[in-house]
Amino acid sequence: MLLQLNNIFKWVNSGGQRIFLLKDINLNVEEGEFISIMGPSGSGKSTLLNVIGMLDAFDEGEYNFLDESVHTLKEKHRANLYKEYIGFVFQSYHLLDELTVKENLEMPLLYKKFKGSERKAMVADMLDRFNIVGKKDLFPAQLSGGQQQLVGIARALISSPKLILADEPTGNLNSKQGEEIMELFKQLNNEGVTIIQVTHSEKNAEYGSRVINLLDGRMI
Amino acid sequence: MLKNYLKIAWRNLTKNKAYTLINVGGLALGMAVTLIIGLWIQDELTHDKNFANKAKFAQVFQSQTFNNNTGTGPAIPLPLAPALRNGFNDNFKYLIMSSWTNDSYLKYEETYLSRPGNYMQREAPELLGLEVLKGEKDGLREVNSIMLSESTADALFGDINPIGKTVRISNEHDMMVSAVYKDMPYNSSFRDLKYIMPWTHYVNTNEWIENSLDNWGNNSFQLFVQIAENTTMESVTNAILNIKKDANEDTAEFNPRIFLLPMDDWYLRNNFENGKQVGGRIKYVWLFGIIGAFVLLLACINFMNLSTARSEKRAKEVGIRKSIGSQRRQLINQFLSESFLVVLFAYLMAISIVLLCLNGFNELARKEIEFPWSNPGFWLVSLLFIAFTALLAGSYPALYLSSFKPVDVLKGTFKAGKYAGLPRKILVVLQFTVSVAFIIGTVIVMQQINHAKNRPIGYDKEGLIQVPTFSQDFEGKTDLMREQFINSGAAVEMATSSSPTTRIWSNRSGFTWEGKPEGFQEDLAWTEVSPEYAKTLNLKIVQGRDFSRDMATDSLGVLINETAVKYLGLENPIGQLLRDSDEEDPNPPLKIIGVVEDMIAQSPYEPVKQGLYVYDRHFNFSYYNLRLNPNQSANQNLAVIERVFKENFPAIPFEYDFVDEEYAEKFAAEQRIGTLSGIFTALAILISCLGLFGLTSFVAEQRTKEIGVRKVLGASVFNVWNMLSKDFLKLVTVSCFIAVPIAYYIMNGWLQEYPYRVILKWWIFALAMLGAMGVTILTVSFQAIKAARSNPIKSLRTE
Repeated sequence: MLLQLNNIFKWVNSGGQRIFLLKDINLNVEEGEFISIMGPSGSGKSTLLNVIGMLDAFDEGEYNFLDESVHTLKEKHRANLYKEYIGFVFQSYHLLDELTVKENLEMPLLYKKFKGSERKAMVADMLDRFNIVGKKDLFPAQLSGGQQQLVGIARALISSPKLILADEPTGNLNSKQGEEIMELFKQLNNEGVTIIQVTHSEKNAEYGSRVINLLDGRMI
Repeated sequence: MLKNYLKIAWRNLTKNKAYTLINVGGLALGMAVTLIIGLWIQDELTHDKNFANKAKFAQVFQSQTFNNNTGTGPAIPLPLAPALRNGFNDNFKYLIMSSWTNDSYLKYEETYLSRPGNYMQREAPELLGLEVLKGEKDGLREVNSIMLSESTADALFGDINPIGKTVRISNEHDMMVSAVYKDMPYNSSFRDLKYIMPWTHYVNTNEWIENSLDNWGNNSFQLFVQIAENTTMESVTNAILNIKKDANEDTAEFNPRIFLLPMDDWYLRNNFENGKQVGGRIKYVWLFGIIGAFVLLLACINFMNLSTARSEKRAKEVGIRKSIGSQRRQLINQFLSESFLVVLFAYLMAISIVLLCLNGFNELARKEIEFPWSNPGFWLVSLLFIAFTALLAGSYPALYLSSFKPVDVLKGTFKAGKYAGLPRKILVVLQFTVSVAFIIGTVIVMQQINHAKNRPIGYDKEGLIQVPTFSQDFEGKTDLMREQFINSGAAVEMATSSSPTTRIWSNRSGFTWEGKPEGFQEDLAWTEVSPEYAKTLNLKIVQGRDFSRDMATDSLGVLINETAVKYLGLENPIGQLLRDSDEEDPNPPLKIIGVVEDMIAQSPYEPVKQGLYVYDRHFNFSYYNLRLNPNQSANQNLAVIERVFKENFPAIPFEYDFVDEEYAEKFAAEQRIGTLSGIFTALAILISCLGLFGLTSFVAEQRTKEIGVRKVLGASVFNVWNMLSKDFLKLVTVSCFIAVPIAYYIMNGWLQEYPYRVILKWWIFALAMLGAMGVTILTVSFQAIKAARSNPIKSLRTE
């Protein structure tokens, strides 16, 4: 068992009314799964993903990640936990514009205090694996969308996470680039990485092994 | 990690060049001002700090009360020193009588020099800690010896060894050089001590001094002391406070108090008001210290404001870093190291600015400040200064930026809250409050200077020169010289005077006259002049007549000024007699023959002092005053005058001062403050405007979409400009209303020190406010109009 959500509720108060963003979510994720979260706009897909990624808090329920109860952890421990085990891939890539491809890849390693030589080796490895060695000194603005997302995924993978959380990873890409990215996810999944993606597209959802449908914050 | 931070910082800086220029440039400017002010303060505070015995070194001061006015000064009577030696010897290590520092002519073979120096008692070299380079330390032992400073010796003797050579002083006395000492440092009260001659020589060669040996009433000397190791200034002062009152009955009515002024206070705290020590230059140290701190604060505020204004741009980075695993502490470190880099960069720029400006500043401030390259203390302070500024300027952005929630900023829904701009607004208000207060202060200082400059001075100072005549060679030659100068065509009139036109060197009391109130203790300025004095100066006679050479009785005549008429309470002054109140051996009475218009001889900020202009019967003059021929150029006139002078006094160097320049000197201190505060104000405004300019551009950028939508809906350029400018104008208006009362309070206090002062008018404040708003509108408009003119399609498409 990689993670387990029990009776998760999340809400905001607006004008005296309580609006539920997540309502009684129960979810078990095993290692090696490839899950797609689907649902219309505003159904709580991204919120669920952020809760799983520990970037967002919830108001009620239990969350266990690798036998640690996340809801009782202090912020610092939580940060250590996701830094160690989770990689994020964003719809709009979120690369740092001021850093080159190589430096963007290196950044997570800096926060995990790897030594310089180790970092160099790992970055070179990743550049090689994603076939972007030639682009290592370019800045994000000099790359196409697909290439930027490739770097984004490489950055998420570089610290060998158990879990990759992807929020509409192909949302900003054309169909050919999108397909390539999904193929890559498939391949990573086959190598043993657990993936949870949020997507609008039925086609992308088919790459996964399981689909979770959300409507108004509730699993259906 | 640090490398990564700095790399990002560096790339951020180089990417936004305009921002960097504003941010780093503004900070550098502020730091440069603070650095220069810091160096100036350091120089002021180290004045007189280079004496090993400074903690025990003091000068004896005296307070006396005339007509309820207490005057305090370093002038003391001769019998004081022996009285202290006899009664209080245990309290002192050294008691050194000294003359005032006066210029003398020094001559060796064919070289003449005019240099300032003192007559001092024998142990002076010990007291002063003179570093004797050649000759003997005990150089004042022989009565006809002279100790020369290194620069004086070099100028007089060149390569020749001066020891044992004879120097002729004022063409009267031959003195033998006994020692050469290292010149006193320039920031010392003894900087003008270019030679020292023995006190005994001073006493032996001046009859009036010998006559003063028992005279407690002649306060014409200085006394420097070093107190004993085991005592304090306070206890010595307490012991000697009433020594004069107890020793002498005649002067006891003036309640003389004798006390020590420690060397620490000589330069910075030497002002007295009614017998109380009230500070002095220290107030300028404070003033400029505060200005420096404020200018730096302004620059730091810019840095903070621009950093937080850019926060929405940096928010994304914060979100990404946090989602990748950065902790808040690491982000704080990152932003602080970024701030450190910028500050370091600004500091290097500031040093270059300081190096470029230091010469100009020295000239302006009359300093010889050097950049302290080799002073480790300076670098240590600099390092602390950088760290402090980096922390001050960087802490707010660091704390603010690092507090962002990654989800919010990454979702793109991040909007700074309703009050996020509030601290920024407060900082802008603070900035402009300081700037407006500076503007008002500067305008008032300038006004006060002009006010005093435009004050009628009572005589015609243009085309008037004074030539010093500090030698007995001039005795009895006045009429001859006057004739020669006038005949040469270079001067139209000449008169002698016992003090320069722009000073009062002598004051007298001890007169009686008709209607003198009982117990009135008069104090009259005393100038001895030759008969053509009023004519030479174009001094107007308002009653009676001028001196006349045809009237033999005029040698006992006196001209008094208008203030003196009121002071003495005379209804019909002409023909009245001023009698000597000394009944045993009276001087002949002086008859008032005329009243002259008041002329400003002392401070242009003070009322004119009651004064007497007496016929000079004893060759007591110190200056020739010459009215130059207005039909020739000054250069022509001076060349002729010098030739005539040299023909008559070949052994004396020809020196002269233009009276108008001497008069202008009276404004020097205020003028310097005015100029400096003007410069600092300009810089403060520039820095504030830079910040405002940057802020507007960010606000315009932030509101691009809003501006686009408004334009599509039909807003004109004016509407948009109005919308963007209004906010800032509001802030500046608030600043004005805070600044005006503060500035009024401070400047009103400053003006109280000047009896002759400008009246504060409301329009000065209105003008400063209008000025500040005008500058704001100009600064803001540039960006606002640019934003307002942009094509809305473009800005909307980027969404």
